[in-house]
Amino acid sequence: MKTTDLLMKIDRRIIYLILLVVVTLPLIFPSVQSVRVMPPVEKLFNAIDTIPADKSLIIDFDYDPQTLPELEPMAIAILRHAFERRIKVLALSLYVQPLGLATNALNQVTAEYNSKASTRADSIIYGRDYVFLGWQPPPLVPILGMGESIINVYKTDYYGNQTDTLPLMQRIKNYSNVGLLVSLSSGDPPRWWIEYAQNRFGLHVGAGITAVSASEFYPYLQTGQFSGLMVGMKGAAEYEEIVSSQMGIVGRRKASEALPSLTYAHLVMIAFIVVGNIGFFIQRRHK
Amino acid sequence: MLVFVFGILGIIPFIIPHPAVQNVDEYLRNNLLKILAAFALILGLGSLLRVHIDKMKRKGQNWQYSWVLILTFVVSAIIGLFGGVNGTGILPTRIGSFPFDIWTIYLNVEVPLGATMFALLSFFMASAAYRAFRARSTEATLLLAAAFVVMLGVLPFGNRISPHLPSFAQWIMDVPNVAGQRGILFGVALGMLATALKIILGIERSWLGGGGE
Repeated sequence: MKTTDLLMKIDRRIIYLILLVVVTLPLIFPSVQSVRVMPPVEKLFNAIDTIPADKSLIIDFDYDPQTLPELEPMAIAILRHAFERRIKVLALSLYVQPLGLATNALNQVTAEYNSKASTRADSIIYGRDYVFLGWQPPPLVPILGMGESIINVYKTDYYGNQTDTLPLMQRIKNYSNVGLLVSLSSGDPPRWWIEYAQNRFGLHVGAGITAVSASEFYPYLQTGQFSGLMVGMKGAAEYEEIVSSQMGIVGRRKASEALPSLTYAHLVMIAFIVVGNIGFFIQRRHK
Repeated sequence: MLVFVFGILGIIPFIIPHPAVQNVDEYLRNNLLKILAAFALILGLGSLLRVHIDKMKRKGQNWQYSWVLILTFVVSAIIGLFGGVNGTGILPTRIGSFPFDIWTIYLNVEVPLGATMFALLSFFMASAAYRAFRARSTEATLLLAAAFVVMLGVLPFGNRISPHLPSFAQWIMDVPNVAGQRGILFGVALGMLATALKIILGIERSWLGGGGE
């Protein structure tokens, strides 16, 4: 076999095997890798941190099992930040599939806080500190309807409680009582929140998106339509970093733990692309 | 006529803030749209079942998988409808210590299956990038260089190579990427506007179907 063939035609099974090793080993032996926090994430952190006491944060959980590893750490980090600052949280989903994943994230962070709390005032209480509104199809109905009245759109919450009986919902009537909405999604929802809720009601919107869809959302950050942006696993790790360093919040940092896997996988991909191109240049020179 | 009326009704509330208009819009959205969405769901499920039943009858390509789809569809629908989310419904969803309520199925079947399918992508992407990413021309070389900078810049490793690398990667995303994306967005928006107007005014009717014969 010629050198060029060796360089340009590596068996895909070898590529798969090397990738498997570099991805799985750091996950089996996890270590937290610290990252430099970039401006888009810092903006989002500041936008959440400066939500006035009389306003709430809406988190739109729109991730599914496919994008869970990238987007769930964002949800966890934002919830930790909000609960630490005692920012009231409304959670919802525009699709049915993320409901279970949203429940998991809310339960996990609530349990983390309540395990440390000594009094009821210190605890995170459902209905007082956060409400899970659930799912209301089609997406346009809650996006536009909540600008007028949240309890008209969500007459009951995810657990079947009448929303008008929940203490938090007495205060949060519509978008005028909302400081920021963060959409965690792998698709179009962040754009819908801008197109409908922001344009019509002036809602401030932030987003957490998958790395693969990042490029199409940057224009909205540049125009200021997004108050901040988290991109992929790295964005989630940056938020974990800023929450940990600025607020001293401890807890498992799944995105930061996954960064070594991501780093080695990218380096392997770069190495293979370089090897393929070396073979390509040698072949072109011989022709 | 229906498309024209409801198309115009959808636009008006964004232009006229009068309470009368807003109330009608709110009523249509909170009532009519929800009912339509429920019918669309039934229509979608019916269509899915019909396609797969037809495939099984015709013994089309990979027809065996249609059995899997229909069986899982029926079983999960029965468990979901009668067993409740956490097994609190009228249907027993536990055999001894083995629960099979919809929540357990979701967490133990759908979540791992979905994650597995998506995880496979990284292997295909690695292989495809190795085979296709060649510096064949100036444009391809530029693309390759930009990809390397962004890939290294977004990794913590990039900061160790040079503290300027993450900033440069961010600049690529903020400036050249935004310039290109904005052009695409303008084009898409104008195209959507033109298509929407054509549909509302009845000029474009192919979406109704049945025009093939």
